[in-house]
Amino acid sequence: MPAVELVGITKRFGDVVANDGIDLSVEAGEIHAVVGENGAGKSTLMSVMYGMHQPDAGHVLRDGVRLRMRSPADAIAGGLGMVHQRFRLFPELTVTENVVIGAEPTRRGVLDTVAARREVERLGELYGLRADPVARVGTLPVGVRQRVEILKALYRDARVLILDEPTAVLTPGEAAQLFEVLRTVTGNGASVVLVTHKLGEVLAASDRVTVLRHGRVTGRFTTAETTAEELVVAMIGRSLAPGPRHTPPRGHEARHTSPHDREARHSSPNGPGSPPPHGDGPTAREPDAPGVTREPYLLEVENLRVLGGEGPAPVDGVSFGVRRGEIVGIAGVAGSGQRELLDIVTGLRAPDEGRVLLAGHPVRRGRDPRVAYVPEDRHGRATAPTMSLADNLLMGEQRGSRFSRAAVRERARTLVKRFGIRTASVDEPISGLSGGNAQKAVLARELSRGRPLIVVEEPTQGVDVGAQERIHALLAEARDEGGAVLLQSSELPELRALADRILVMFEGRIVAELPSDEASDARLGAAMTGAAAGDATADTEGNTEGDTG
Amino acid sequence: MTGTPAPPVTTDRSPRSPAPGRTALPRAAAAAPVLALVAALALTTLVMLVTGVDPSLAYPALIRGAVGEGNLEYTIAAYVPTLGMALAFAIPLRTGEFNLGGDGQLALGGVAAAAIALLVPLPPVLAVVLPLVAAALTGGFLAWLAAPLRARLGIPVIVTTLLLSTPGVALASYLARFPLAERGTGVAQTPVLPAVAHLPAIGDSGYLTPALPVVALLAVLWLYVDARTALGYEIRATGANREFARYGGVGIERLGAITLAAGGAFAGLVGGLTVLGPPYRFVDGALTAPGYTFTAIAAVLLATGRPALVPITTALLTVLQVGGQGMEREAGVPSQLTQIVQGLVIVIVAVLALTRRRGTIRRTPKTAAEPANPHEKATP
Amino acid sequence: MSVFDVAFVSAVLTASTPVVLAALGGLLCQAAGVFNMALEGQVLWGAFSGVLFSHLTGNAWLGVAGAVVTTTAYALLLSVPTVAFRADPVVVAVGVNLLALGLTAFLMRGLLGVGGTYTSPELRGLPTFARLGLDVPVLGPQSPLVPLAPLLVAAAAWWLARTRSGLRLRGIGRHPEAALSLGLKVGRYRHGVVLGAGALCGLGGAQLALGNVTLFSEGMSAGRGWVAVVAVMLGGARPWPVLASCLLFGAAEALGFRLQGLGLPQQAADAAPYVITLLALVVAAAARGRRRLLEAS
Repeated sequence: MPAVELVGITKRFGDVVANDGIDLSVEAGEIHAVVGENGAGKSTLMSVMYGMHQPDAGHVLRDGVRLRMRSPADAIAGGLGMVHQRFRLFPELTVTENVVIGAEPTRRGVLDTVAARREVERLGELYGLRADPVARVGTLPVGVRQRVEILKALYRDARVLILDEPTAVLTPGEAAQLFEVLRTVTGNGASVVLVTHKLGEVLAASDRVTVLRHGRVTGRFTTAETTAEELVVAMIGRSLAPGPRHTPPRGHEARHTSPHDREARHSSPNGPGSPPPHGDGPTAREPDAPGVTREPYLLEVENLRVLGGEGPAPVDGVSFGVRRGEIVGIAGVAGSGQRELLDIVTGLRAPDEGRVLLAGHPVRRGRDPRVAYVPEDRHGRATAPTMSLADNLLMGEQRGSRFSRAAVRERARTLVKRFGIRTASVDEPISGLSGGNAQKAVLARELSRGRPLIVVEEPTQGVDVGAQERIHALLAEARDEGGAVLLQSSELPELRALADRILVMFEGRIVAELPSDEASDARLGAAMTGAAAGDATADTEGNTEGDTG
Repeated sequence: MTGTPAPPVTTDRSPRSPAPGRTALPRAAAAAPVLALVAALALTTLVMLVTGVDPSLAYPALIRGAVGEGNLEYTIAAYVPTLGMALAFAIPLRTGEFNLGGDGQLALGGVAAAAIALLVPLPPVLAVVLPLVAAALTGGFLAWLAAPLRARLGIPVIVTTLLLSTPGVALASYLARFPLAERGTGVAQTPVLPAVAHLPAIGDSGYLTPALPVVALLAVLWLYVDARTALGYEIRATGANREFARYGGVGIERLGAITLAAGGAFAGLVGGLTVLGPPYRFVDGALTAPGYTFTAIAAVLLATGRPALVPITTALLTVLQVGGQGMEREAGVPSQLTQIVQGLVIVIVAVLALTRRRGTIRRTPKTAAEPANPHEKATP
Repeated sequence: MSVFDVAFVSAVLTASTPVVLAALGGLLCQAAGVFNMALEGQVLWGAFSGVLFSHLTGNAWLGVAGAVVTTTAYALLLSVPTVAFRADPVVVAVGVNLLALGLTAFLMRGLLGVGGTYTSPELRGLPTFARLGLDVPVLGPQSPLVPLAPLLVAAAAWWLARTRSGLRLRGIGRHPEAALSLGLKVGRYRHGVVLGAGALCGLGGAQLALGNVTLFSEGMSAGRGWVAVVAVMLGGARPWPVLASCLLFGAAEALGFRLQGLGLPQQAADAAPYVITLLALVVAAAARGRRRLLEAS
């Protein structure tokens, strides 16, 4: 009998069917991977399994017994535990408080902090999940926070542990540790549901795989008997067309390739990654022959430093340069100082030390008009969700010419057409657009101005495949037209496909600079954890010029 | 989500994605003020019935009190300061700030106008203009104080303006009772202002002065700036999402200061216009007693973020307010009933306004309980 | 001279007790992540209903009970729109405060038969310790609600720090999504604290109208609820600092009264508590740095 079984789950959001009659069964003691592209319906399915959404049809069986799922409380009571992609932790509370909250041991109504702490320590020993029980969670690194999340589920006697994209926030080394922990968990007879879109992880760590596409199950596999190719076919509904591809012509929604294709072939979980072949993506460019790119840097960042109160400096002496016509990638585990660095480069924040020069002149505070900037936080920074699409497309240009409503809308319509933004009307609030279209709108606003420096953060996060390709093509085009592009992304395949060279940040410093074709998972991973920094920086382009950070 | 056929299931829908049928919502939102008013009146009727008042007598009395013979001019006279105070609240609200200090700005503006008119001998025209300018500057300054406190120290504007209001009213009262007081009467008021400083009357009743066209013109000017200028766009963007505006290079702190000062200036100007009108003196408490400030706040909130509706909702609530006094005279119903209606209107509008914002509101940084990124806290 | 000091301390207690009770309500809401700006209206309603029920029953304690019960009910006007419907808490609070002003003035005319100020020899106020025959230092002229206020603050501090529901409340306030994912009933806790704040405001209002004085007058809360809101900001939603902030306000008011006796104009005395509260807020904000205060609000 399966430990947990989803039967005929259908879930609609308005007229969108996120899950369409999905069956999923997870045996006791197995790691069961659920894979699919962004938007395939994985997260919705997990939310249903964990009681956060009520399905429109179907039900959840636990050891063959139907669970009444009205809220996560029912799921927890049924022995399910979930580690969300965005952690659900209380930064101000201690590790122990975070683990026990909601199921606290008490003595005569008063919290029994001693017993709680002992239990946390015991579980930590048992599963190899070490975390200081009295530390405040807000002060802990991401990897440890994830352990706290797992402890939280185990403390509640979870027999089925659901992890939603657990490695998105981890370095390759931390990810390997995580899979060891999960093996211990299943070794004790519990089950793990691993939600991911990284095929390397699936092949390395899971026992069985269920593939989702467009809200339906498109494949069920036993991991040992399948291949990446087979999984990809199930995920994207077609086989890979091998060989080099070209930048799709403007105005077409090129659908014949996706970043996941590349990822499927190149990411390998632990082993030494083989260097990716050249020119595999739609936008990657043959590297320039040595000696060609010796023009001066357009963007010069000199010894930037942001002091961090009591803690370590978020940006600790960063120097680099970006030339016209190149894309420089920034990699690193989230929180390594990328955000602060880019805030300074765009002029939104002042550094405590150092300076940023653009074409020889310091970047202006507030927002430098020579910089195009696509922020990661689409709802919080890049758009005003309640304002119309036209108003959102205007920001930055409102003082350019005489203000007229007709002109604002006309301009918006032009951009909508040129960048292929799908919307009913430019007067629609931008919150009504899908993630991909909203992101295209942001890019349209920022790229349509022909600004020399283009700073981009996580350009394809939460964006569907078609839009991803379009966005990559737009960035490559901006580069080809002579723009200097600084691209920060947590998707290593994206960096490899687009960037000419990749800077790796760790603890506020640039610890490595790699040409894209040498940036294997192993080398990037080592640099992202701060290991082997010296080794990784050897023989890079920057180094030969004596200009590394 | 939109009217266009979205590609099927290509994005991960967040659990609170806006429901479909968005195109129908603007109409629902336009109905919100009407609905709120109807609901508030229904509840008020209930209050009447509970307290033994006959609504069939009270409501006609209310209407007669506002627009009946001779009363219409008085209602219009009350509309002018209420509209001015509505702008005092509405302008900062466009950047997302609550100016609850209208009473203090109003009273200090009034006393400043009286002081200039009494103490500085001025030629005609200037004798009217200069006190009004002084009134606007005084009110504007008091409101502006909240801006640097918000920008530098993060103290909410709603709290600062409110805390400064009582001292403002107290200072005005002190000036009217002591340094500027009319000698020998013992009444807390200034002497009658010199005749050159009087606003001329329009019509026979003497209630109406050029204050009406002045405030109306300024209101139109505000509507124009808000909808059709870059400044108005930047103000709206700041109100919709401060971080978006900052990212776009808008000087959000400067805008906050400008809108607060402009709002306060309107309040001060209303004080000045009232003092230069009949009975041509500053009477302690006369400016704040009619409750223009909160009637105006209710009216602005009733307009649910659409500036063009503000003059209309203000007219509606002024009728209610003035009519309430007629109702008290005629039907013996306490005029405070109108305050009940206003309070209910605000609460109901707050609930109804959600239909418009739901789906986006939870995404705005203001309501986010936690940074979206779990790592943010690790790097202070 | 010592009598003078005792009298001053007594005046401080009188002035701060209603504020302490209201601020405690605001603090609990803040801890649960609800911004409660409707304290002013609820204190006013508490004062009115306290007088009304004392008038109707001839018993001050029944007046207090009536104030607590009806103000809790009144708080539904805040909790239902903001917690259940997620309406803008600031807008709702503005409405709730204005409604209290109108409703108390209206009902006063209907039920007590007068406008402006209601007082009567028959109206029973709360007994003082002296009247109860208890010889307590300083507290002699005070009602039993005065020492109750700091006791409630202590109880709240202990509850938040040491109990299961207190821990959950803090968790809910800091990160509601996390609390939801644990199956905690976020809405229920939030309704609970908003209604609890209503009860505390009712108590504060009753103390104001039946303890400090024995009368009701229109708008008699006179900004105390707003000062309580500021006290919560000043104290960073921690019980003891919030209590201290309230005492600061009480001292300012008492000092204003004292100086008025020495010839200071009444207007200065009126303004003093607000000016001092604002100055304290400015100093605290400057010392604490802008980030934390924004976080706390």
